[in-house]
Amino acid sequence: MTRLLAAVAAAALVAPAALADEIRVLNWQGYGTDADWAVAAFTAATGHTVVHDYFTSEQEMLTRLRTNPGAYDVVLINSAFTPQAAAEGLIRPIDPALVPNLANVDPALFANEDLNPGGVLMGVPWTWGLTSFAVNTNDFPEPPDSLAVFWDPAWKGRVSIRDDALEAVQFAALALGQDINAIDDLDAVRAKLAALMPQIATFWSSENDWNQNMASGLFAVATYWSGSAARSISEGLPIAFVVPEEGAIGWLDGLSVPASSTRVEAAHAFIDWMIDPEFYIRWDAEGAPATSNTLAAAALPETSFNRAVLGDPEVVARVQFMRPVDDATREAYLLLWQELKAAQ
Amino acid sequence: MSAAPLALSGRLWLGLMLVFLYAPILVMAAMSLNASPFYQLPFEASTRWYAKLWTNREILAAAWRSVWIALAVAAIATLIGSMAAIALWRHAVPGRRLLQALLFPPIAVPWLITGTAMLVFFFGIGLDRGSPAVILGHVALALPYVIVVVTARLQGFDPTLEEAARSLGARPLTVTLRITLPFLAPGIVAAALFAFAVSFDQFVVSYFLARPGDTTLPVLIYTAIRKGFTPEINAISTIVILVSMVLMLLVARLARFGGER
Amino acid sequence: MADRGERAATGRALAMLAPAYLWLLFAVFLPLAAMAWFSLLSDLPLRGREWHLTLANYRAFLDSPAYPALLWKSLRIAAVVTLLCLVAGFPCALVLARVIRGRSREALLLLVILPFWSNALVRVFSWTILLRPGGVLDAALSAVLPGEVRLGLAFTETAVVIGLVHSYVPYVILTAYLALQAIDQSLIEAARALGAGRLRILRRILLPLALPGLIAGAVLVFVPVAGSFMEPRLLGGRMGTTFGTVIEDQFVAVFNWPLGAALSFILLAVVLGILAAASPALRRSLG
Repeated sequence: MTRLLAAVAAAALVAPAALADEIRVLNWQGYGTDADWAVAAFTAATGHTVVHDYFTSEQEMLTRLRTNPGAYDVVLINSAFTPQAAAEGLIRPIDPALVPNLANVDPALFANEDLNPGGVLMGVPWTWGLTSFAVNTNDFPEPPDSLAVFWDPAWKGRVSIRDDALEAVQFAALALGQDINAIDDLDAVRAKLAALMPQIATFWSSENDWNQNMASGLFAVATYWSGSAARSISEGLPIAFVVPEEGAIGWLDGLSVPASSTRVEAAHAFIDWMIDPEFYIRWDAEGAPATSNTLAAAALPETSFNRAVLGDPEVVARVQFMRPVDDATREAYLLLWQELKAAQ
Repeated sequence: MSAAPLALSGRLWLGLMLVFLYAPILVMAAMSLNASPFYQLPFEASTRWYAKLWTNREILAAAWRSVWIALAVAAIATLIGSMAAIALWRHAVPGRRLLQALLFPPIAVPWLITGTAMLVFFFGIGLDRGSPAVILGHVALALPYVIVVVTARLQGFDPTLEEAARSLGARPLTVTLRITLPFLAPGIVAAALFAFAVSFDQFVVSYFLARPGDTTLPVLIYTAIRKGFTPEINAISTIVILVSMVLMLLVARLARFGGER
Repeated sequence: MADRGERAATGRALAMLAPAYLWLLFAVFLPLAAMAWFSLLSDLPLRGREWHLTLANYRAFLDSPAYPALLWKSLRIAAVVTLLCLVAGFPCALVLARVIRGRSREALLLLVILPFWSNALVRVFSWTILLRPGGVLDAALSAVLPGEVRLGLAFTETAVVIGLVHSYVPYVILTAYLALQAIDQSLIEAARALGAGRLRILRRILLPLALPGLIAGAVLVFVPVAGSFMEPRLLGGRMGTTFGTVIEDQFVAVFNWPLGAALSFILLAVVLGILAAASPALRRSLG
């Protein structure tokens, strides 16, 4: 009896110290990992606490990893950037043994070549969705079906896109009917964006920012992400998400563990919770992008936004998925975008 | 009497400036009591953001960190800055003009450049981002202000007092502690307040030196504005303004601010 | 004996100076030197990256028309903001120093400096709430004036200037106040006794004697504004790209530190050049 008590006391003393880590997550603001209830449930189940830091572009995310070794334990990386992060030695291979829910992840996503640079799984497929646009239904009782609305003089000063060179260039390429991963006429893209500039009210930088500007009536039409659109609709904003005839940009987001993380086990546990159907079903009710977990996807109600929009084969046929971009191309896009902004 | 209209329009102008200075701050404070998370009008009174703030560990931690960093900066900068000011004033140190000129760069170089230079250098020598780096940077920014303020006070000090004490056999340290410091006290208090304010309000240098997740309040606010702003930030800002207002009023009472003769 | 005493005194003085100047050396001068070195590198000397000495980062400034245009824009904004701060701030300082007396002067001066103690970020954010379309200012004006008022100031260069003036005008008020307050009252009484009018006293005595304070205030405004990035980004929207935001991008997002360092030094050189050009005026007004 005494020995048992001693063991319990020892366990009580040692266990919290050994188990209760504070993990730091680097993600977009308002993107699932920082939902109050999700963090609370994770802390209740594992004892680990979660702190968040945010970025507003993939470039910024990479630089935060580069200049803050040891500061992060989990990072969200768009699969188009995973190979670059892996090549720079910023992230470590995923240990599948620590992520049991990987068993239920869609095999096609699990084997995604960008998430497996060099044949090693560097990011756990988490969500996927579309970058397209949404309109304010007060201004558009009938949603438009073409990207041309961005260039329509009627909406001058009510248009917004994100301040991101890659996204801006790919968006213009989409409007021009070019392949977003192999843009052959960059001058046309430049001219198209130059024509777009005077239309723009301001750039948006986060979901919250987007919501505030849509709510205030500043934006009538703005690029947006499908998951965020679902969330904004469920929060009561009068908007409609559009996948226009020109198509949309598809993306796959993965969760990775930085190479410099010192709380690797807790990080994997958090990632496992993030692809857990229980987490996803509740997140989807608030508005979420599509899950990588087939069990979770199957459990969604028929009326779910993701089933209605992303489940439509006609829509999926129009999607161009983002692929990695090499350094020279990225620099060319950046310079193009910077010059356009400087000319304002 | 052509003076009256001139003085009147001057007062009017001052009044307008005060409206200009305070209107945005009052609006900001009012919005901390508005229920809408998107700052939508019409106004609907609510204290929910204060309630939420109280449970927001991140904001509270950043606020607390800003306070103690500012206290540390004020203590260090005031101590070593006052020492330097006294030495520059008391002794004909070789190269005094140069030493005085060297105080200029931290003020004259835009913070953006100072901050990024510190980031580059500290990164290069392996000093990681974090509160020690922030304090290092803030003290350097506050030092010139401290030296200038203390020197200004010293201008009114009669050096013969020190000489008299020395000729009566007082040791240099005794002279400093018993004669110079008591005279300097108001200047030193003012310098410490200045240093505190420089640190507490400093955003740019902290932005480049603070460790993500362990940020100071200004950095947290910048991040929040760019990456998702909730009225909780208005709530903490309102508290900060109220607290600094009370502090300033206290200081004014103590130090007869305003230079009345 | 006297010589040794002097030397000991000098030693003591150096010991008292050392902490402050070593601190400045370590936290300001060495970093600036490191930055100068980085601006001459082709890439960061990190983890097996290839690098060599080059002037390419400085050439990049000239190669793209975007950089000189942005530098010009930043300097233009800084000049406009400085001018507005002087014009708006000097009358306030004058009233505080020469018209208002006693306790109310103390209280008003405190009121002027108090916003300076609030957070600069918060002040800028307040303006975004105030100026946004359908925001507080529009709502207030619509309530007073007939019809729906839309000022359309949000996300314009004007919004950036308003926010910057709001942040920096207390500097000018304070420095001008200190200069005006130090003017000997008997000088003005003498002028008045000689029959000088108020405007004449203002033009011939107050303004020239307050000039050092005004110039100091102008420097305190111009320098940080020329390198500002936070205010343009938050208030300027699509018009908010400045030289400062480009430099910030190089450090925070793009990770091209050598280019960022070179752009910083170009900004620094221009700012110091402007200060040097202004310094004869400064010295004259002091002398």
